[in-house]
Amino acid sequence: MNDEPHNQALSPGTRPRLAAKARVQTDKLSGKLVLLYPEGVLLLNETGAAIVGLCDGQRTFQEMVTTLSERYGSSPDRLSADVAEYLDRLRKRGLLDLISEGDGQ
Amino acid sequence: MTTKEWRRTLSQAGDLGVLHVLFSGGEPLVRPDLAELVAAAREAGLYTNLITSALGLTRDRAERLKAAGLDSVQISFQAAEASLADSIAGTAAHERKREAARLVRDLNFPLTFNVVLHRKNLGRLESIIALAEEVGAERLELANTQFYGWAFKNKEALLPTRAQLEEADRIAAVAKVRLRGKMDILYILPDYYGDRPKPCMNGWGRRYLTVNPVGDVLPCPTACEIKGLHFDNIRQHSLAWIWAESVAFNQFRGTAWMPEPCRSCDRREIDFGGCRCQAALLTGDAGNTDPACSLSPHRDVLNRIVASVQEPLESEGKTASSNASAWQYRINPGHSVT
Repeated sequence: MNDEPHNQALSPGTRPRLAAKARVQTDKLSGKLVLLYPEGVLLLNETGAAIVGLCDGQRTFQEMVTTLSERYGSSPDRLSADVAEYLDRLRKRGLLDLISEGDGQ
Repeated sequence: MTTKEWRRTLSQAGDLGVLHVLFSGGEPLVRPDLAELVAAAREAGLYTNLITSALGLTRDRAERLKAAGLDSVQISFQAAEASLADSIAGTAAHERKREAARLVRDLNFPLTFNVVLHRKNLGRLESIIALAEEVGAERLELANTQFYGWAFKNKEALLPTRAQLEEADRIAAVAKVRLRGKMDILYILPDYYGDRPKPCMNGWGRRYLTVNPVGDVLPCPTACEIKGLHFDNIRQHSLAWIWAESVAFNQFRGTAWMPEPCRSCDRREIDFGGCRCQAALLTGDAGNTDPACSLSPHRDVLNRIVASVQEPLESEGKTASSNASAWQYRINPGHSVT
């Protein structure tokens, strides 16, 4: 795992992937989605759940922003910074792998 | 409790809205049906964590747990150096734990590396962090000893000096920044050196419950140390009933039970009056403010203990990591020593 690109900056071609230890689950009480990881829970609001749902290691950051902007009718430029910030928070918690352009899986 | 009883309990926990289960102990690997219980927990929608000494974690066992859907493994270590670690554990465990950690990473489990810190290993924190990195831990839990039960009996041998602790705080803070995004470091301060108590269990009966091996349901894992508190059993009641209705869970739930200075404190819903077990142990009444709070009228008890350990102990001599045992080892009834 040490050779994985944990600390690389996000670029348009980066493919974010939810870390193996994290699992999305529906909270039975609220009906909302939560992200579970070792001894932790992150409540996902609608936008958060949409972003996390796209972190499949296949889509690039740019493709994610395009998809989200179509879904929410918002301009990609406006969305880009917010999505990047959200992804960065996930990465700092070790919940996201960032696969850079050219890296195999 | 039988396998069937545990399966029913886990299913009830899922229905109650519980999200995580920690298979802890004692030592959960002593149960031959552990993989079956993990599978039941996954069926109930729980994120499953195994908290283990790793002694007894063979490849066959680990593979069966993986197949059952176990999400994460936490292994306890005592230090980075085998000689020190084994002297703390009281048995030659260190190399077996390292092998188990390798096995866990081989099988792609996320690994939490847990160390309980105290006077004998706190000065070796850098090597502990380095070992956690080396074995590929994704999470490092550096938990300064809290003094209940067995640790309380040995507090003179275990409680670090203020100088030791300040150095460790600094090392942990630097490592936390350096390893951000790679290894998550949780550094837990010891209550005795704080001004405000920890928000124990995030509030009594608020987030956590423990079901012990005989089926008693407790608001915290050590709550049975509180004399006079009765715990209901999962064989007689549903988990939902116990959570909502039992006397034990309601005794210290919310803020109405609080005495002063907690009752009027603006932190009453931040730290929830601290730890009930610690209040019981140090003041004789679980309903008092935790003396870990400097506002507690019983703070002196704690201050006296802290003052008594500021000089090196006789057994420590000149070396920081003397291996002389100055404590009694804990014996888990019916279990191997972890």
